[in-house]
Amino acid sequence: MAANRPRLAAITTVYRKYSHAQHVVDRYLEGYGWNGTHHRPEMDLVALYVDQVGADDLSRDRAARFPAMKIYPTIAEALTCGTGKLAVDGVVVVGEHGDYPKTPKGQVQYPRYRFFEEIVAVFRSSGRSVPMFNDKHLSWNWEWARKMYDTSKELGFAYMAGSSLPVTWRIPSVEFPAGARVREAMCVCYGGPDSYDFHGLETIQCMVERRQGGETGVKWLQAYRGEKFWDACRSNVWSRELMNAALCRSHTLTPARAGFNDIFPSLDQMQRLVADPVAYCYEHADGLKCTMMLMNGLARDFNFAAHLEGASKPFSTQMYLPMPDGRTTLANFFSPLSYNMERMFLSGKPTYPIERTLLTTGLTAAGIDSLYAGQVRIDTPHLAIRYPAPAESTYWRT
Amino acid sequence: MAPHVTRRTFLQTAAAFPVLAQGRPKRIAIVATVFRPLSHAQHIGDRFIVGYPWEGDWHKPNTQVVSLYVDQKPAGDLSQDRAREFGFKVYPTIAEAVCCGGSSLAVDAVLIIAEHGDYPRNEKGQILYPRYEFFGQVAKVFEAGGRAVPVYNDKALSYSFEKARTMCDTARRLKFPMLAGSSLPVTWRLPELELPWGCEIEDALMVGTGGSDAMDFHALEAMQCMLERRRGGERGVKSVQLIQGDAVWQAGVRGRWSKELLRSALSRSDSPKGLTVTDGRTQDMVGTGVLPQLVKDPWAYFIEYRDGLKATLLMLTDAVGDFTFAAKLKGQAEIQATQFFLSPEPNVTYSACLASKIERMIETGAAPYPVERTLLVSGILESCLDSRVKGNAVIETPHLAVTYRAPRESQYCRS
Repeated sequence: MAANRPRLAAITTVYRKYSHAQHVVDRYLEGYGWNGTHHRPEMDLVALYVDQVGADDLSRDRAARFPAMKIYPTIAEALTCGTGKLAVDGVVVVGEHGDYPKTPKGQVQYPRYRFFEEIVAVFRSSGRSVPMFNDKHLSWNWEWARKMYDTSKELGFAYMAGSSLPVTWRIPSVEFPAGARVREAMCVCYGGPDSYDFHGLETIQCMVERRQGGETGVKWLQAYRGEKFWDACRSNVWSRELMNAALCRSHTLTPARAGFNDIFPSLDQMQRLVADPVAYCYEHADGLKCTMMLMNGLARDFNFAAHLEGASKPFSTQMYLPMPDGRTTLANFFSPLSYNMERMFLSGKPTYPIERTLLTTGLTAAGIDSLYAGQVRIDTPHLAIRYPAPAESTYWRT
Repeated sequence: MAPHVTRRTFLQTAAAFPVLAQGRPKRIAIVATVFRPLSHAQHIGDRFIVGYPWEGDWHKPNTQVVSLYVDQKPAGDLSQDRAREFGFKVYPTIAEAVCCGGSSLAVDAVLIIAEHGDYPRNEKGQILYPRYEFFGQVAKVFEAGGRAVPVYNDKALSYSFEKARTMCDTARRLKFPMLAGSSLPVTWRLPELELPWGCEIEDALMVGTGGSDAMDFHALEAMQCMLERRRGGERGVKSVQLIQGDAVWQAGVRGRWSKELLRSALSRSDSPKGLTVTDGRTQDMVGTGVLPQLVKDPWAYFIEYRDGLKATLLMLTDAVGDFTFAAKLKGQAEIQATQFFLSPEPNVTYSACLASKIERMIETGAAPYPVERTLLVSGILESCLDSRVKGNAVIETPHLAVTYRAPRESQYCRS
């Protein structure tokens, strides 16, 4: 039986408390709460590469406590376990957090592309490829992301990517109706561009990809920030009804008035609370209009709303992240993410399509580009990405 | 804040969420210990004053708070501000509040919210919130006028089972609907677990956090709302025992409570302490055996029901920061477990789930779930605390032969 257990390598940027690598790799080493028990993945994480080892590093502690996992000085050695040939059955890439330079547009240059290239170099030299998971978007650079996608197709390995938002709890626990016609969709969330914007885009995309006709790609995107955001809001560039519905799913609305604990803010009050609002508006090839908005100061969660045809009121829910920023101690939204990876490593098949993350990667980059270019509309012919939604719901319900 | 700004705010909110034409708003009196920020009275009372998030909308109940009584006005008191802004009056007595200053009952419902405030504790550690006394003054007005209206009582009915039972008897005698209890039974569950109505439960365990007698009540009530669905319905409690310290772990070794159920409940926690706080790691706290080192003062509440079911509440404040439950059902190999989701302050949106139940009672004139649940839980807690002061002795509880039938329809929030 032990012979059948997949062996994994994890390729990470930093392994410190609450870095994504800690959340993900710890779940393979320590197990995690799943389906009402302490679940231990039926696979062994045997090799670890850490790109930056700082004073707060935990990888050495983990390697000492879990001697079956060895730390290697290079990605190639991790994948080959020092044998010169690919020696693992799956690769987990977690290139989030760490000290990396920023582009002039403000994007942190996480080395996911470099990691990927070094990994596929081993695949090529070994004449064999294995399933790979990439945490968050593929790359900050669209051309590189596209190349990563194309290479995965060329080499024919199972490739999954993305964030926890599509797979975490939903409150309420509802799925976007398969085949629904949808006019407009929205995510109201928080955080900054080049970071949580990606999570907000994934929140929308994992829902609307289930619409009638499947995903057709995105034609254009325009970002709004600061005063232009409020002007756009007042001139109904996006649906205020959807914005209100999404905010009514929040558990973290900042009270707009002292002495009240939960009170719905007027637009004027929102404007006072949110110093630097950002929205990415974009239109899909089939006409669906979507808006992702970052509302720091107003809410600290991810809320989705959509106008479905034939429904009298918006469809809405919250993608709930138990966030260890004082609200919890464990970022348990990494549990469904880990579980979906495990399923891929066991079956060789992704549980949801990489094209989702390819598209949201491109939308993130387009959002940054629009902001950088002065909030202009950007045509996105390169985002004509079509794919069918997975038949199975993969969000956390058990 | 200037009144005209407030009014504009209010109108804007109203415009954003049009309210369908309904009948005359129901008039509500709030009878509270204190009305200060983040007190229960403010949480729940404000839901009926400014509305609350519900099913993806900002819901404005068809209610009007017309009077308020507050027993204490500590620093931060909001009662006069609310009254001034929303056009109602704070009355000096409960009778005047429910009569709106007149000579007879002048409201359609009463919310008794007597949690928080400065009240003494008894020798059992129970805070002597005057719910029974508040209720008595409300009921006196009902009785004098020959008319009664629905009453919501927040949290436990009373620290004393005898007083709690008198409250229930009075409600029955005067024929008014009464709803009581906390948000735990009605909040979201992660995952959406409901025990099948009529199921056979072999073993059940609840894990709670926080001090007595505030947080253990919540934990006991959460457990009770699950167990009451078992076959034969609720028949009451035969005996209870509260043990503390090392005896709790020894009882686990002897199998008095199930380690498997504890592992399962803890697998639903998002707030384990200890090494998770140190370096973020996930933990199998049962498997590693860390609990006895981590939890300085564990309390175990053993409840033996009259139909033979045995259930345990473990208060493990140093181990977790949330409320989880696990049960083993007959004929099912897998343990069922969930977390009762308590969303963060200050919104505490879970209390909107409770407000919706209160609103339903006010609208329909029927409590959506039986007050006997809260009666029984009030009594279980009192007897457990009796056990504690009596040297952790087993306490026979013939007085807790409380029988009731849980509604088949699930009452927790899923929308």
